[in-house]
Amino acid sequence: MKNEYIPYPAIIESIRDESFDTKTFKVVFEDKGLAASFNYKPGQFVQLSLLGIGEAPISITSSPCNQGFLEFTIRAAGKLTRAIHELKPADKIHVRGPYGNPFPFEEVKGKDLYFVAGGIGLPPLRSIINEVFNKREEFGKIKVLYGAKTPDELCFKEELKRWQDITDTEILLTVDKPDESWKGNVGVVTMLWDKTDITSSNGVAYVCGPPIMIRFVIERLTRTGFRDENIYISLERYMKCGIGKCGHCNIGATFVCIDGPVFSYNQLKGMPEKEIAMAI
Amino acid sequence: MKEMLLKKGRVKELCLKACEEWQTYVPIEETGGDVQFLRINGKEKNSALNKLNLDYGSLVISPKAIGFPQLESLFQFQGDKITDTVHAPSKKLLFGLRACDVKGILFLDDFFKRDFQDIYYLNRSRDRLLVIVGCKHPPRDCFCTSAKTGPFLPVHYDKGAGAESDFDLQMVDVGDVYLVEVGSVKGEEFVNNHKKFFDEASEEIIAESKKAKRAAEEAISVKVDFEKAIKNFCDDNIPSEIYEKIAERCIYCGGCLYVCPTCSCFNVLDEKSADSGRRWRNWDACVFEGYTREASGHNPRLKKWVRTSRRYEHKLKYDFLATGVSGCVGCGRCLSSCPVNIGIVQVIEEAAKI
Repeated sequence: MKNEYIPYPAIIESIRDESFDTKTFKVVFEDKGLAASFNYKPGQFVQLSLLGIGEAPISITSSPCNQGFLEFTIRAAGKLTRAIHELKPADKIHVRGPYGNPFPFEEVKGKDLYFVAGGIGLPPLRSIINEVFNKREEFGKIKVLYGAKTPDELCFKEELKRWQDITDTEILLTVDKPDESWKGNVGVVTMLWDKTDITSSNGVAYVCGPPIMIRFVIERLTRTGFRDENIYISLERYMKCGIGKCGHCNIGATFVCIDGPVFSYNQLKGMPEKEIAMAI
Repeated sequence: MKEMLLKKGRVKELCLKACEEWQTYVPIEETGGDVQFLRINGKEKNSALNKLNLDYGSLVISPKAIGFPQLESLFQFQGDKITDTVHAPSKKLLFGLRACDVKGILFLDDFFKRDFQDIYYLNRSRDRLLVIVGCKHPPRDCFCTSAKTGPFLPVHYDKGAGAESDFDLQMVDVGDVYLVEVGSVKGEEFVNNHKKFFDEASEEIIAESKKAKRAAEEAISVKVDFEKAIKNFCDDNIPSEIYEKIAERCIYCGGCLYVCPTCSCFNVLDEKSADSGRRWRNWDACVFEGYTREASGHNPRLKKWVRTSRRYEHKLKYDFLATGVSGCVGCGRCLSSCPVNIGIVQVIEEAAKI
């Protein structure tokens, strides 16, 4: 019987600043066999540890098509993530996983894909976005609709520019509070509906962001004609174990850690309203 | 195997003998009258057994703590080197359990085996002998006859057909002796290995034991329509007012969940001094405000009544939907331990009225 609670050592190879409070960490398992055999799918997460400080669920932002390393984009929000931000390249971190259900990938080939993200909600989607770009010709139109509080808080600034140049791909950005240099859109992410053509007929939407944003985006997608089963949401919940035991991430009969974190809107609607009301 | 007979005067001796082979847990009455299920293998086993009480009302802490201790080390570390601290499997004799608590133990066995297996719990629970001593004087707050979890469990043992009961042995208090029912191959082996303590039971004693079982059933005064309540929970017929009313009185101490035989939520925390430390898990409770609070400060279950509904719906709806068995075994501990006199039994009563 495997001991699922034991994490494995990994080395931080590089660290990239995303914004004033967010960094991307590239890590490689110390054990070469584990580095080679660690298979994950976009949408899954790991439990990331600093021994003596704690452990938290963090989504994998790298893509399986880039093998040999993992990337995690982390905002310094709590005790553990603040401590992770203090780390330097060559420092050690502990990882176990991968856990949770991924985003649908094979099932959406040939479809138009809409990725709608708010703030720190883009990192979980980046994994599937790059996986899709790796097989670009197998999908229809791709649009990324991304909003953040300020221009600084947009993650993956260079990558967003590179994505613009990919065939039949549109990247739309907006911020709540522009600075002097910002010449783009201003407002919440749903304002981007007026800036491009969003059609539901062959469309599948992937949504991740803060609860209030998820609520408005689902409402907008539904109004645009997206069917419930074509809207996928990655949920965030406080978790301790990641394996359906500690109970913290329960919503009704569902464990976000093993039944999610990716749910279709259809599934979300089957959850008790009083528990989901504040979660999305 | 036929019913056996164990003289009360020989119980202590049997426990001492069993200690040679088993980690032995028995109900011990402590100063003040609380009864705890404690391991007695140490040097003090003789004096501990002088405080053996098999006619207790209810264990303060349910025996879930044997498989799922309140505080448990997951691993220790020295620098970056992790050493796991999984309990090595050992033979455990749980002697003198109540039927409802056995139902609680089996509920947790199933939970910790489901999906990802929890090696910490499963190692502690492997090789375990469950010996029930049925209630003779049931406590005031319990309702096992309604929950169908006691005071005795049905005997299903048929070695040839491979059928076993939920227990290994079940004892019925009949005056100076216990009638012993055998529920499993392991139970039969235990009796055979300790033959000198057991005699075959006479027809007269067996008849007496049936009377004793009926008397125990009749002594349980709290009756609720458990099935109707569960149905109303599963059909979403519970109005939020029930939870709001409880939320006005509940002080959210979590005591009811710590003593509950089927609550299994835990928190995980690290401890470190200099270069070494441990990762622990300890019991947690879904009624705590911090239980669902995320690092961002966002809390999907901030409202008290929502936490209350979670606490009851988990037991009476979601557990039932997931397993076909309710998470409440009717032990009544939540009511006995509550500082403001709220128990799940009142919620069940309300739910059955709808």
